[in-house]
Amino acid sequence: MKNEPAVVIHLGGNGHSYRPGESLSGEYAFEELSAEQIKALEVSVLWYTEGKGDEDMAVHKFWRTDIENGNVIDPQRPARFETILPNSPLSYDGQIVKVHWCVRVRAFLHRGGKEVLGQKEFRLGDIPPIKSPVQNPPDI
Amino acid sequence: MARTFRWYQKKRGNRRTGSRTLGSIGEALFFAFFLFIGGIVLTVMISTLVIPEWQVNHEFVEHNCKVIGRRLDEKEDKGGMLYRPEFQIEYTVNGVVYRPWTYTISNPYSSGKESQQAILTKFSVGDAVTCWFNPLNPAQVVLVRGYSWWVYLVLFVPVAFIVIGAGGLIYLLLHWGKSAERRSAMTQRAQERDLFGTNGAAEHEYPNVPQRSDITNSPGTKLRYRLPIDTSPGWALFGTLLGCIIWNGLVTIMVYFAVHGHLTGKPDWILTVFSIPFVLGGLFLIVYFLRQLLVTAGIGPTLLEISDHPLHPGGEYQVFLSQSGNLNINSLSLSLVCQEKATYRQGTNTRTELHPVYRQDLFRRDNFEIPPGLPFETNCLLTVPPGAMHSFKSGHNAIDWTLVVEGDIANWPDFKRAFSVIIYPANGRTAS
Repeated sequence: MKNEPAVVIHLGGNGHSYRPGESLSGEYAFEELSAEQIKALEVSVLWYTEGKGDEDMAVHKFWRTDIENGNVIDPQRPARFETILPNSPLSYDGQIVKVHWCVRVRAFLHRGGKEVLGQKEFRLGDIPPIKSPVQNPPDI
Repeated sequence: MARTFRWYQKKRGNRRTGSRTLGSIGEALFFAFFLFIGGIVLTVMISTLVIPEWQVNHEFVEHNCKVIGRRLDEKEDKGGMLYRPEFQIEYTVNGVVYRPWTYTISNPYSSGKESQQAILTKFSVGDAVTCWFNPLNPAQVVLVRGYSWWVYLVLFVPVAFIVIGAGGLIYLLLHWGKSAERRSAMTQRAQERDLFGTNGAAEHEYPNVPQRSDITNSPGTKLRYRLPIDTSPGWALFGTLLGCIIWNGLVTIMVYFAVHGHLTGKPDWILTVFSIPFVLGGLFLIVYFLRQLLVTAGIGPTLLEISDHPLHPGGEYQVFLSQSGNLNINSLSLSLVCQEKATYRQGTNTRTELHPVYRQDLFRRDNFEIPPGLPFETNCLLTVPPGAMHSFKSGHNAIDWTLVVEGDIANWPDFKRAFSVIIYPANGRTAS
């Protein structure tokens, strides 16, 4: 049986935590996917929120490669990306608000509007997680 | 993992359910419906109201006629009877005699019988008056020309439908088939083009850290900056007073009719019972307003000054607190508080939840008096925790840092006054 297509992402450095202003580099490659199947590719370095509130998301860096523009996409060959990370927002693991950083790779296929999506999380900064809410907080 | 068209998706962070494709199709149909209805109504209004009025004023030919009859035409509607004035006139064009009933080209019906009746007195039977007829159809004639202001006012309704429909469709078209990341990148590029001035530069350097220039635009007398209070007691009192007046004004009308019914021997018990919770709400608002009045009038201003701003994790700052008034204080305290703020949709409502995650007591003093004209003043040290999360603000989520002054006053309502501060990220710290 043929396996499902997938994206493999490797991050440089220690691979999981980075400082603001530090360079984030890495590679991505596709498994079980041929060049003829892909019509466009997007790589994003982004943050998103998780928790009680509606999700917010913002892209720090975005690259798009489209074969319609004459670009060549070889999914078997590892492709590199690199960006300087911003000063904020830092990764945060709060009680009702969490901020996550990740590299997201999205390939758009010719057939049936299908997409292949891969994501690798990392931490920006070293804010310790919030363990428990404060006692007797002021009502402000 | 390969993805194709889905009828639904699992709940995730933003609590979205349903297929994005289906959602986009639904939105497109919604906006197309608005555009369609707006287009149809606008076309009908222009062809039946605007163009005929323009023709009357520009193409109709002036002529002489004689009033031979007048009447108040009536029409039954869902809301009652409607009326409009009509005059029968007689005139001759190219040897043909016409005797139509007319007034203006649109001559709408109205519910005001007296006002329509009054129009009938403008012309009497037998009067020789001027009329204007359509040279292509001489039977079409009016006694009064001009433009109806209400026609152009009503045009705003279909135009609003068209703007909403077309705007929504253009937005969908621009975003159709684009990933969330691509849409976000497009939005950010558009926002970056709008970022001008000092705040824009700071926002660029520290994305999603709120830029509050108002915090540093007031110099302090003891320390560098005087912090602005989050909600001025005067404005809070004014807001409470306004709410109190509006609520109790409406309640008074209800109570008047309820009491009037009882006094005239025709009690409306449903209205009477229905009024009770509203009266109780009104009484609560009055008590709350009086409490606010006592806090505002009896407790003097609270001033807070800080040695530097914005704050940085691990940084130490001097804070100066001044509290005025003629007060017998049980306790007065100053704290640094961090709270998470999450806004989410629940059905058709938008709710905001606040969740304090950090509190540092900076100062507390119990059982002392503040004499009139001699404010209580104290200095204290504020140390921002080295691992503190920076101030953060996005569309639906925020992390706010606040200095909170809390007072427990003997025989007087307690008070709390908050002063926002901004904490910047701890740059250069080593990731573990």
